[in-house]
Amino acid sequence: MGGQACVFYGAAQVSKDIDFTIFAEEANFIRLHAALAELQAERIAIPPFDADALARGHAVHYRCQATGVEGMRVDVMARMRGVSDFATLWERRTTFGDDKGAEFNLLSIPDLVQAKKTQRSKDWPVIELLAAIHHRENAGDPRADWIEFWLREVRTPELLIDLTRTFAEEAQPLLEQRPLLALAIAGDMDALRLALDTERQAVQALDRAYWEPLRRELEEYRRAERLG
Amino acid sequence: MTYEQMPEEWQEWINLTPMERFKQSEQIFANYLAIGGSLDPDPDPNSPFDIPEAWSPSLAHGRAGLRLLRRGAS
Repeated sequence: MGGQACVFYGAAQVSKDIDFTIFAEEANFIRLHAALAELQAERIAIPPFDADALARGHAVHYRCQATGVEGMRVDVMARMRGVSDFATLWERRTTFGDDKGAEFNLLSIPDLVQAKKTQRSKDWPVIELLAAIHHRENAGDPRADWIEFWLREVRTPELLIDLTRTFAEEAQPLLEQRPLLALAIAGDMDALRLALDTERQAVQALDRAYWEPLRRELEEYRRAERLG
Repeated sequence: MTYEQMPEEWQEWINLTPMERFKQSEQIFANYLAIGGSLDPDPDPNSPFDIPEAWSPSLAHGRAGLRLLRRGAS
């Protein structure tokens, strides 16, 4: 969902696994299992493939054995934290096409940024790049929703200071939700850098808190697995 | 990081079209596999998906057919 989209958008992120988000419906499970069988994908012990577990937010992990994809991990989930529902994401998607007629449907950059707001350190430089790239590509003809996206999500201090000068009026109503914009308005680069770090840490803490009960459930699955 | 602050090779990458980036990425990945690169995911210790059950028996630097001949400081 994320790694290849980052490549298309220019914020390259090496990704050797494939993540799928599916509708947790019987027909989809059948199609998914047929595809996994073709890849000779073996489920990694925990969690089990279970509609309830998927609905709670667990990812089910597989390792492929078919020739050409030996060792490749496939993760399947039915719920993505922190993003809109599938219909909304699909409506907002970006589609690229190649000369042969193939189409590539991607999360839009604003949705990809939300999906990348995780506890993982490696996602944060990608978020910074995605927001900067989106600004660079659209600054010439800015839409109101893009201006709001930049003011909410840009993580490059120099760019944020510049944005609060260019879009001073639009920044004002966002001050309450993103207080560090005040530092950008004041041009206080050092304080802004610190505040961006603090902001990142707070979001990472939220993600850890979201996963904590699921981690505990994984431990339960592990214990049950050991007991047979 | 703003575009102007990026190293030249990053700027070149960003200046490609999305399809060019995708094709180059496919090429890099094909080369990686051709020299024996493993598809096992890299360690990702602060990911909730980094579960011990998913770790593979380790290959030397992720490449089948390589064996460690000498270990220096690493």
